[in-house]
Amino acid sequence: MSEKVIKWLVLAGLALALVFTPVLLSSQTRMLQVKGSDTMVNLAQILAEEFMARNPKTPIAVLGGGSGTGITALINGTCDIATSSRDWKAKELDLAFEKGVKPRLFAVAVDGLSIIVNAKNPLAQLTMEQVGAIYRGEVKNWKGVGGPEMKISLYGRQSNSGTYVFLMEHVMGNKPYSTDMKEMNGNAQIIEGVLADEGAIGYVGVGYVVERSSGQPLKGLKILNISKGVKEAAYSPLDKAAVDSGAYPISRPLWMATNGGPKTAAAAFLQFAAGPDGQKIVEREGFYTVGGKLQEQNLKNLK
Amino acid sequence: MNPTTQRKAALLVALTVTASLGLWAQATTPPPQTFGTTIYFDYSFNATDNGYLTGTDAAKALNNKFAFRRAYFTYENKINDYLKFRFRYDADNTANLTSVDFVKQSTKKDDKLRPFVKHIYLEWSPNFLTSKINVGMIETLAFKLAEDRWGYRSVAKTLLDGYKDITGVEVDATSADLGATWKGTLIRQLRFGLGVHNGAHYSHVETDKFKKFSGYLQLVPVAGLNVVAYLDYEKQTEDLKAMTTKVDVLFDMISNLNVSFEWFSHDNDAFKNANGSGYKASGWSVFGTYKVVPDKLGLFARYDHYEPNDSVADNETGLIIAGFDWTPMHATWKLQPNVWIYNYADGKKKGDVIFNLTFFLSF
Repeated sequence: MSEKVIKWLVLAGLALALVFTPVLLSSQTRMLQVKGSDTMVNLAQILAEEFMARNPKTPIAVLGGGSGTGITALINGTCDIATSSRDWKAKELDLAFEKGVKPRLFAVAVDGLSIIVNAKNPLAQLTMEQVGAIYRGEVKNWKGVGGPEMKISLYGRQSNSGTYVFLMEHVMGNKPYSTDMKEMNGNAQIIEGVLADEGAIGYVGVGYVVERSSGQPLKGLKILNISKGVKEAAYSPLDKAAVDSGAYPISRPLWMATNGGPKTAAAAFLQFAAGPDGQKIVEREGFYTVGGKLQEQNLKNLK
Repeated sequence: MNPTTQRKAALLVALTVTASLGLWAQATTPPPQTFGTTIYFDYSFNATDNGYLTGTDAAKALNNKFAFRRAYFTYENKINDYLKFRFRYDADNTANLTSVDFVKQSTKKDDKLRPFVKHIYLEWSPNFLTSKINVGMIETLAFKLAEDRWGYRSVAKTLLDGYKDITGVEVDATSADLGATWKGTLIRQLRFGLGVHNGAHYSHVETDKFKKFSGYLQLVPVAGLNVVAYLDYEKQTEDLKAMTTKVDVLFDMISNLNVSFEWFSHDNDAFKNANGSGYKASGWSVFGTYKVVPDKLGLFARYDHYEPNDSVADNETGLIIAGFDWTPMHATWKLQPNVWIYNYADGKKKGDVIFNLTFFLSF
């Protein structure tokens, strides 16, 4: 067989592959891809498992990576649902608009962002301003906020984390974090750091700070009460009424977003997550259920 | 102080400053740093052996080969929430100059891939018009938007970027250059970019006082529809100037589908025919990409039209590129089989068909 014939046969084979591989691959069952917030990754995973137990023909893959990662994936069309523990930034909305992505947001839980210290720290509460000053690096010793004579060790998240951005925007006045902050990979790593360091302060989602069985804070950890100002009362993120009413000042909705109105599988999953069965799981995982206005918005966005 | 003492004193001061900076740096938490590598190489063979490109003895002798096309190594350092530093090495199969003998005024080459600096820049993102300001050896404004939409740099450069490779005509377009750019958003529907560069490209040092000025306006009237008007201008010598105008239309209104159009014209005082008359070089390209299964399988196709001299008839080249992008196992590597089909307005030139199996690795 001549070299020319071999080449044409190879080319023909590749042309056939070009035509048939996409057809074969596209006919396979596609997984619903959920990606984003590390604060939400455990919750989203459990919601997905429960949903798949009821709908075995709808496989769901859940990945973390941070809210920013999930939002970028939705804009680039590489996931179906982006989870985020913060609102979308203006530049993300601009990029989405440029690329024809129309984000539609669904609140699936509410989080009382918890400020945690080592249980040996005698301090019980801080104001919002004090938390901001600590994370900006303006206060470096616990004595500066009414605590013991002890250096403050800052534990936080990396910049792709929604929690990192939420704290910066809502507590730190949009000023940068202290360069002394140890940037951890996830909530669990922050908790490990705080448990091992008497001078530590950290921030994590409320779903990570209590024992599932007892509902009590994890051993060795103290959850600080937070007030809006010096003259105002301080509340715990474990106080559901305070979180619901907004008296606890650093609560936030946890979002799932789709590009435009959710398609069949995504719509079914979101309905489940925001519905009664999904909300029971939300509570079981230590977060708070979604109230009236957010539920109304969910229903509107599902249409 | 004699010159030797001065040099020693300068060295001492430099070492002291460097050591102090090192100690200062150790006293703080290291900022987030990332390292990334992207490599693409091809297995290629010519499906024709009598075409304008594939019919030469050299092409026939070289048919059936593996070839490295690009290897990038990128280091990024997020200094804080507003400031980022990037350093990128690039290596390609033409950057193989190994030594220069200044006495004999000769160069020596071998076939090894050698890295060169592609990017060294600071990026500042102030809370003002959602701006990004880049300073250093930076990406130019000319074709970044089209390249982002095409998305298959591993397979082919976009029209303006690859124009010289296809036509041999230098249209003064480069992907990186020393200078500064400012990109921002006036309102969601209107964005802009402004730049000033050496105009000498990343592979040459500046040799004159003249700078290249560039800018674009990006109109996004509705979500997913972008119209970009670009212009650059450079006085290249006291007597010669060059200007490129370019329009991109980017359509992203259907999920997972992108269709884009790119047109440009390059006007250069140095472009002269034998009779002394001037000419322009231009081209247009239409391309589409479709994600059949996101992160798994994509399709791409494109048609380019090259007009290297608008005063000469039948010198145009048409190029069709088509293929698919398959991620068989993990996003770190992809297979991108693609075919390039050339046709020529000149009836004496026979068309070419070249097949490439592109390997894309990124980690």
